[in-house]
Amino acid sequence: MIPPILVVAERDADGGLAAATREATGVARTMAGPGGSFVGVVVGADVAAAAEEFARLGASAVYVAEDARFATPTSGILAVAATEAARKSEAKWVVLGGTSQGRDLAGRLAMRWSAAAVTGVTELSTASDGGLRAKRPVFGGRATETRALDGARAVIALRPHAFAAATDDPKPLVRHDLSLEGISGGEVAARRTGLARPEAAAGPSLAEATIVVAGGRGLRSPENFALVEQLAASLGAAVGASRAVTDAGWRPPSFQVGQTGRTVSPQLYVAIGISGAIQHLVGMVSSRTIVAINSDASAPIFKVADYGIVGDALAIVPALTREVRRVRGLPPT
Amino acid sequence: MEIFVLLKPVPEGESRLRVSADGRRLDLDGVKFVLAGYDESAVEQALLLKESAPGSTVRAVSFGPARCEEILRAAIALGCDAATWVEGPSEAAEDPMVVARALATAIAPGGASLILAGKQAGDDEEGLVPAAVAERLGVPSFGHVLDLRAGPDGASLRFARATEAGTERWECPLPCVIGLQQAWNDPRTAKLPNILKSRKAAIAKVAWTETAAALGAESRPTNRPEAFALPPPRAGAKMIEFKTPDDAAEQLVRALREEAKVFP
Ligand SMILES: Cc1cc2nc3c(=O)[nH]c(=O)nc-3n(C[C@H](O)[C@H](O)[C@H](O)COP(=O)(O)OP(=O)(O)OC[C@H]3O[C@@H](n4cnc5c(N)ncnc54)[C@H](O)[C@@H]3O)c2cc1C
Ligand SMILES: Nc1ncnc2c1ncn2[C@@H]1O[C@H](COP(=O)(O)O)[C@@H](O)[C@H]1O
Repeated sequence: MIPPILVVAERDADGGLAAATREATGVARTMAGPGGSFVGVVVGADVAAAAEEFARLGASAVYVAEDARFATPTSGILAVAATEAARKSEAKWVVLGGTSQGRDLAGRLAMRWSAAAVTGVTELSTASDGGLRAKRPVFGGRATETRALDGARAVIALRPHAFAAATDDPKPLVRHDLSLEGISGGEVAARRTGLARPEAAAGPSLAEATIVVAGGRGLRSPENFALVEQLAASLGAAVGASRAVTDAGWRPPSFQVGQTGRTVSPQLYVAIGISGAIQHLVGMVSSRTIVAINSDASAPIFKVADYGIVGDALAIVPALTREVRRVRGLPPT
Repeated sequence: MEIFVLLKPVPEGESRLRVSADGRRLDLDGVKFVLAGYDESAVEQALLLKESAPGSTVRAVSFGPARCEEILRAAIALGCDAATWVEGPSEAAEDPMVVARALATAIAPGGASLILAGKQAGDDEEGLVPAAVAERLGVPSFGHVLDLRAGPDGASLRFARATEAGTERWECPLPCVIGLQQAWNDPRTAKLPNILKSRKAAIAKVAWTETAAALGAESRPTNRPEAFALPPPRAGAKMIEFKTPDDAAEQLVRALREEAKVFP
């Protein structure tokens, strides 16, 4: 039997699979190839929706640890379940989404299951020695490295948006129940006591968005920052900001992109009135296409941009919003 | 509380990156190693906790070749009480799993009430080591942590964790491992007399022979650097020449649709 690839589910707010898990599933299907297969593992309460979604994406089996105590499982609990699923399915390789959960789980699972591990992966291939080669950005996107992993067992966490999400390939749901043994007292006692959703409830979250429109001090005032938000809404984009903006309290810290904020790597990043300090660049430089709008032609942001407009953001951005809405067939704001 | 902070020596931020002669890794020749990024935050957090819970001690721990000593002295100058250099060859330090096993062996179960680390290191950004150490020690771990405080009972922690779905709040009993995402605008800096004192401070050392004997086959890397590359410099922005804002907007939207193909 060719060993299947194992995908660990991360669940979205509705209990289904998170976008990052669908990306991991896409990678698992590619790794498995035409003759291979992949299996999923789901932990928590009310797991039916996630298990069915795995089957719809083509899982040959889904391992399920349904336990109301683990509705918000710690990485320690997920590691126990994933190790058990790997043992039962005889998987050699595990793929995880590039989320906080995926990155926190990777090291634990690799240690528990005696596997090699790598995170933030943007390209993956198999080598003639049976091992894996994983490419990943390092030094805040200033370089890339390729890692050679022993193929016997490996845990691979992806970089968000680096791979396409799996499309439907429905198979009947084959469900295997896991019973979790050996979970330590600390894991059971750790409790999630709350969840504050991002304040910008409108539009996609910074982490998941394929387009990010970000504004800086060049907008001049918190009121003008709304121009950035209108452009973002027209593009279906998430809104980001430089630290000058969050420090000044124009927008909350959750908007911040950069070294001490979020790292994003969308398909399109639009930087408006942002100078391009290194601490900002490390958070966005691996975006696929970068647009900069800045009144100063010598601003460092233009060094990393693909398209540049030198001009007054207060005039350019409203024009851009109008044009985007016209082309997309949206009513004018 | 017995607080341990895990610190990795990373190349100074402004270092020019060069590829080594064998093409596999960063060229370390002439590179200055520093305590940086989220590890600096871990030290600041450890010292804040110590100040809020008198009687606590903070021990800085670093695994790798001799460059560890430099950053351990920096941690002592900032106010850490003690430091341990867990010696290891560069090749071992290149596999996060070997790093984690060595660190966990040096810390030993029961030795720490809290282990603080960066959520990811400033160079390789793997974010693997803290969770792997926790698994080895059999204690809970959380990365991407903000706003950490000791619980009222002194035996637990309360903190926030940044996730894609939003900011979660957690309570966790000690001992546990925390990977910090928090950054302070003004973390403390070392005072000159403390820097001078730190030069002479004793640093405990765990020899690699000892760690390798304890780990056996587990001391061998299964994850090695294969290639290191600097991206070709971006061609430079294509600057849009325009007469009016509407003209600029029209040209940009056309380029995003037809050339870059990233228009929604
Ligand atoms: C330890 C540390 C961590 C940091 N972390 C981060 C981080 O995570 N994220 C981050 O962003 N920063 C971070 N910073 C701050 C960073 O160094 C910069 O100070 C910050 O990014 C500057 O924000 P800005 O580009 O909006 O403002 P400025 O640097 O003031 O730039 C404003 C830009 O707007 C342009 N402009 C002005 N008027 C107009 C106009 N009418 N139309 C168009 N353009 C205009 C100007 O030419 C200028 O380029 C950090 C700094 C430190 C020391
Ligand atoms: N060689 C090391 N010695 C001590 N701590 C380390 C070492 N490598 C990583 N760490 C810790 O683990 C965190 C994450 O590192 P990494 O997994 O390499 O991204 C760092 O911020 C450090 O706190």
